[in-house]
Amino acid sequence: MSRARVGGLRFTVAEAVAAVFLLLLVVAALWPGLLAPGDPLAVSHADAFQPPSLAHLFGTDESGRDIYTRVVHGASESLRIGVLATAIGIGLAIVLGFVAGLGPRWLDFGTTRVVEVLFAFPGLLLALLFIVVTGPGLLSSTIAVGLATAPGYARIIRSQVRRTASAEFIEAARVLGRGRLWITARHILPNVTAALFVLATLGLGQAIIWVSSLSYLGLGAVPPAAEWGAMLAAGRTYIANFWWMTFFPGLAIVASAAAATVIGRGIQKRNRSGA
Amino acid sequence: MPSRRFSRPRAAVVVTAAVALLLAACSPGGGTSGEPSGEPVTGGTLTYASGDAEPSCLDPHVGGNYPQALIATQYLESLVSLDEDGEVIPWLATEWDVSDDGLEWEFTLRDDVTFTDGTPFDAEAVAANIAHVQDPATASSTGYLALAKIKDVVAVDDHLVRLEMSAPDSALLESLSQVWVAMESPKALERSQEENCAAPVGTGPFVVDTWERQDSVTLVRNDDYNSPPADVAEATEGSDLPYLDSIVWRFIPDSASRYAALQSGEVQVIDNAQPDTIRSAESDDAIEELDAPRPGAANRIELNSGKAPFDDERVREAFIRSVNVDDGIQSLFFGTAERSYSPLSSVEPLGLSLPDLFTVDFTVDTDAASDLLDDAGWAERDADGYRVKDGERLSLDFPVSTNQSIPAEQSLFEQIQADAKTAGFEVNLQPLDLSSWYGVLAENDYDLVSAPYTKVGPDVLRILYHSDSITPAPSGYFANLAQVDDAELDDLLTQASATSDADERAALYEQAQQIILEGYYILPLYDQQNHFLRSSTVQGLRAMPTVSTPTFAGAWLAP
Repeated sequence: MSRARVGGLRFTVAEAVAAVFLLLLVVAALWPGLLAPGDPLAVSHADAFQPPSLAHLFGTDESGRDIYTRVVHGASESLRIGVLATAIGIGLAIVLGFVAGLGPRWLDFGTTRVVEVLFAFPGLLLALLFIVVTGPGLLSSTIAVGLATAPGYARIIRSQVRRTASAEFIEAARVLGRGRLWITARHILPNVTAALFVLATLGLGQAIIWVSSLSYLGLGAVPPAAEWGAMLAAGRTYIANFWWMTFFPGLAIVASAAAATVIGRGIQKRNRSGA
Repeated sequence: MPSRRFSRPRAAVVVTAAVALLLAACSPGGGTSGEPSGEPVTGGTLTYASGDAEPSCLDPHVGGNYPQALIATQYLESLVSLDEDGEVIPWLATEWDVSDDGLEWEFTLRDDVTFTDGTPFDAEAVAANIAHVQDPATASSTGYLALAKIKDVVAVDDHLVRLEMSAPDSALLESLSQVWVAMESPKALERSQEENCAAPVGTGPFVVDTWERQDSVTLVRNDDYNSPPADVAEATEGSDLPYLDSIVWRFIPDSASRYAALQSGEVQVIDNAQPDTIRSAESDDAIEELDAPRPGAANRIELNSGKAPFDDERVREAFIRSVNVDDGIQSLFFGTAERSYSPLSSVEPLGLSLPDLFTVDFTVDTDAASDLLDDAGWAERDADGYRVKDGERLSLDFPVSTNQSIPAEQSLFEQIQADAKTAGFEVNLQPLDLSSWYGVLAENDYDLVSAPYTKVGPDVLRILYHSDSITPAPSGYFANLAQVDDAELDDLLTQASATSDADERAALYEQAQQIILEGYYILPLYDQQNHFLRSSTVQGLRAMPTVSTPTFAGAWLAP
């Protein structure tokens, strides 16, 4: 595969494209007005169902709202929820993973079994179960996705913690009389962080898809919010005649999930070869 | 999962296929159907795809909503029907007579009809059916309200039945024509409700055979069928109805899939056709449209006057002045729906339409709305631009039934939300499934709601706007969702439903509608949309002149 050298680092073309796309996504999420100055909720009856054109790059929806503007503004929603959900998932996983990895044998046994039971459920099903209990909405779908991803992370973190804890330098630290907490904070946590970073990047892509799925099912963002999954759901009815209403939000979901995955894998590869 | 491998070439294939499918879906499916052949053909299975919620009970006495009416029309029949001109005609009853004081009705029944379980249709059966609808344990809503004035039913002889009324009811025949009070076998009604819900037994052209929950109901031909309504009997004299062997009644909630199934020939008739597909079907020879606006109330948004902020008429008027629905209806419905300015459907001859009340040259009147809100004490605005009073935001809850409001209507509500925001109203749209939606209404947790209500005749006004209807029916549903509590209106509606004089009745209903419209209790939108699309191979399909449900009694499949 062709590689480009930028600032002393090697990137594949796919990684470069993915990085640029993620950068755009972050800009769109933080300052959507820079990329699309319009109002994503502005209704204009006369412009309903317009196909893509120079005036409306991605066309318009049934209420004449500009789909390009909505996709750009939707990035903040999707990205924020994606980041938040991943943070919840990983945060929970850190607690579970450390308890299992460092605690006494019985605690490890108990935690691991619980994680395994949760792991047996498909993630989206776990998220749906949670929403059934708490009721639909943005907050609960975010927490739901976070909870659903936690078991997967917890397993990886536990094994990482175990591996690090049995390393010789930890043994050395213990011999030197360092306390448990000190060892955990100074040695184990930093060693686990690298792996966590990769997990988070890879998880972000997945979280975006899951959050969009929940919104698509009507369990997350409520219309007319500019959220990709909700836009996809709204456009579904019109797919026979107005393809652009589903195509562009769908493209945004696929592209951001793919970009996050490509970057995550890139980091993972470098970590492995560096180790 | 983070550890799963992601195959790039395979993903590319999937994307390409998806795009190809999308493009294929955009090109109209051509048809080669010629002119329909005139002679009915016997036999065959027709597949119908419904977009309405799957009923939880196939007996329309229980609850009583439109999805039940749609399917029950195929296996249940009523005492009377209506012809194309809206005149009452014989069905299971051949003639009827009312006493001068309007308190006693006598119906002569057909003596040659049996239910499909072999039970004869007679006066006792009529009594059992009315008792079943009125029994609180049945949890009837539509039928219960329609028959509320029947005090007692007496079987005079085998085929003569007398209904004794608590008050005169000028709408009785119209009420009895509806499928929600259709006749079921008294023997079948004695079964548990669960059993009867799964397979009600009637006298209709088809019989419920099996019900695969979440999928379909199979209806098979009633070989002994002999009781079509008078107009059908006349038109099809000498034919052995029904022509079809069976109907597979499928539930396909997703409108795009439903339309695709019709285009591919997988199904032959669909309901709840979306406006854009109705338009695109016009250029398709293989697909025909059946437009059957429902009788009763027009589709409208009810403003809950029973609690703040809409207990203040000025706030109601301000809301109605600040939203523009005309442009939205035009663009979202592609010309398939016409704006209504009346509480009643356009098929109701007594409907009063007041366009001037709702539109000033078809634009919103933001100044008037603003003054009204200032007057009502909602003079300040918060940081988000919403009006506030005593620290409280002018916030409106709008639960939307995703089963009953088609996507175009939901989009219209989003546009209303955007308009209302300009005026300073915060509208919280809450898309809900049917049972959660009923739950929210029962809890009085709504300020705006759109609830379709179908009933034959203007008496629907009494059901929807008489203060008695704020009290829930046995099903828990109350029909007066605007919570109009006006003694003068109550009086007009009571008088109108009691008078037998046609002119007086018309005048009373006109005054009643005037009060409803001028009190800004409702924002009328359009007729209850009832568009069906059928494959051009389906012949002889028609909508009942009663509640506009399609009937397959005289339908056949052209080869």
